[in-house]
Amino acid sequence: MAHQITSDKPNKLRSAFNLFRFREKKRRDKREKQFVGAIITPLILYMAFWTLLPLIFGIALAFFEYSARRAGGPILGFGGDNPFVGLQHFKNMLDFSPNAPLEVRQFHSGFKITILFALLVVPLNLLITLPLAFMIESVHKKLKGIFRTIFFLPVLAPSVGVAIMWGFIYHPQRGLLNAIIGLFAGKLIGINWTGNPNLVVAGIPVALFAVIIAYIWQDLGYNLVIFIAALQAIPQSLKDAAKIDGASDWKTFLHVIIPLMMPTILLTVVLTTISAFQVFDIIQVMTDGGPADQTKVLLLSIYDYAFRYQRMGWAAAISFVLFLLIFSVSLIQTKLLRSEWEY
Amino acid sequence: MAENSLPQIKKKRKIRVNLATLILIPMSLVALLPFIWMILGSFKTGAEIRQIPPTFFPQTFTLDNYRKVLTDPQLPLGLFYRNSAIIAVANVIQVLFTSSLLGYIFAKFEFKFKKVIFWFILATMMIPSQLTMIPGYLILAKLGLINNLLGLIVPAAVDAFGIFLFRQFAQSVPNELLDAARVDGAGEFKIYFKIVLPQLGPALATLGMLTFMFNWNAYLWPLIVLTEQKVRTLPIILTWFSSRMVSNDHYTMAASVLVILPVLIVYLFVQKWIVEGITLSGLKG
Repeated sequence: MAHQITSDKPNKLRSAFNLFRFREKKRRDKREKQFVGAIITPLILYMAFWTLLPLIFGIALAFFEYSARRAGGPILGFGGDNPFVGLQHFKNMLDFSPNAPLEVRQFHSGFKITILFALLVVPLNLLITLPLAFMIESVHKKLKGIFRTIFFLPVLAPSVGVAIMWGFIYHPQRGLLNAIIGLFAGKLIGINWTGNPNLVVAGIPVALFAVIIAYIWQDLGYNLVIFIAALQAIPQSLKDAAKIDGASDWKTFLHVIIPLMMPTILLTVVLTTISAFQVFDIIQVMTDGGPADQTKVLLLSIYDYAFRYQRMGWAAAISFVLFLLIFSVSLIQTKLLRSEWEY
Repeated sequence: MAENSLPQIKKKRKIRVNLATLILIPMSLVALLPFIWMILGSFKTGAEIRQIPPTFFPQTFTLDNYRKVLTDPQLPLGLFYRNSAIIAVANVIQVLFTSSLLGYIFAKFEFKFKKVIFWFILATMMIPSQLTMIPGYLILAKLGLINNLLGLIVPAAVDAFGIFLFRQFAQSVPNELLDAARVDGAGEFKIYFKIVLPQLGPALATLGMLTFMFNWNAYLWPLIVLTEQKVRTLPIILTWFSSRMVSNDHYTMAASVLVILPVLIVYLFVQKWIVEGITLSGLKG
């Protein structure tokens, strides 16, 4: 190398330049490394502080009887008058005897209501959004945007506002729903849609249906825009081919569109289920869990026990169960995402 | 059926378009009813609101409800708008900054433990918020951030979904562009600000809108962290006001209109980005 440099002038220049480039590149690499390190290290540590620490803290809480009002032990208030109770909270959860404590019976009913809520919300949501997306996709271009905006609008409203708006619809005396039914029945109707524990249809409280309708009204825009995007991704040639083969619209929808959209549908089922498990706002504002705890889903119990009754250990134990519920559904999601789908 | 000629198919499609439209028009009116009912009610007098059965259109049109709500000394709406705006805007700025920076780094740089760190970020998305809600509150209490707007800003500075989204978008920034800038001697931060960021416009708009909407509408977490009236945000104030006005629906309706509608109207102009963001998160998980 050194020999070449002295023997050949242009080569010497090039080598010098290459050496310069090499040094320059090394300098740049070092600078890039410094840049990456300077950003990644603090931000990831920060993120870990606000995710891992609460996660560990939260799981630990489930093994204590804990109140923020008591001083407790030296480390984050654990110990002392916030005593370690081991698996006691989880053991209590398995007490199915009729004279189990109120909190345990509330947990059992909350668990059932949360699952029931999701089981009703998910199919109802899909039964509305799938045909709706298909219909909106099929109308004239100018109308398409208007219809999509109208059905999407509630997604953008605060869920608290949605709950208050639906409260005006369901009001027993001044509500729109009773007024409309009264118009057809020809007499005054005073059904208490969200406050009468004795109103039960097919074993399901009417109040639960009432909050589910408000919830779906707000939530359906999500799946709607996802389905519209998925419909637009289906090649027109496939739809045309079905048409030329003489398939009716209904048959095309059922035998061509739906199978092609299956991966998207499965994914929305999972996402809708997970968010249904975490319902809080609409129910808390509309019924606060009532009447007679008929709409008290798990997250409402968690909030009540943690922040109203200061029983954070018990609330954390319920949170852990809810987490397991959501986690098992998430696992299905990652399984679905892993499989490859092609048109 | 198989001998359908092309003109017939065309004709058939036109009929279907009309049928779908005919079904969609009444459906969308029903979908709008809760909004319409609230807006109409906000213009009714107290006497008319308590009338049984209720009227649909206001018999006597009045603006008194708005006057009452806007001058209620216990309901300084301006203050609550300010609180909500501070939280939402601060979150948008910090989340866009950290997400674009980290997303760009994960898309364009190689470094030690890259895969592990990225896996960790994805894994944090699996931790549901209600599991970290109680300990999160306790940590904020230890830091003295309860009843402080910072309590809703500080913990949310780094957003896993945002990083994920920006990594996807930053991959399409051409490497030649970055290398050219490096040869010209530009520093890494300058490259990020002057070259990478301008290329990420659509992602910035999408994540910005979603973050704003999420924070503006949030209820549970602000309800826990902000227990004093003067630091509360609009959604909490709205429920507080409505529970105080049990038999005065007309005032609650006017307050709800004032809280819900202005932002909804703004959303109408930017909904393209929001729809895009939701579609992305839905299709990609």
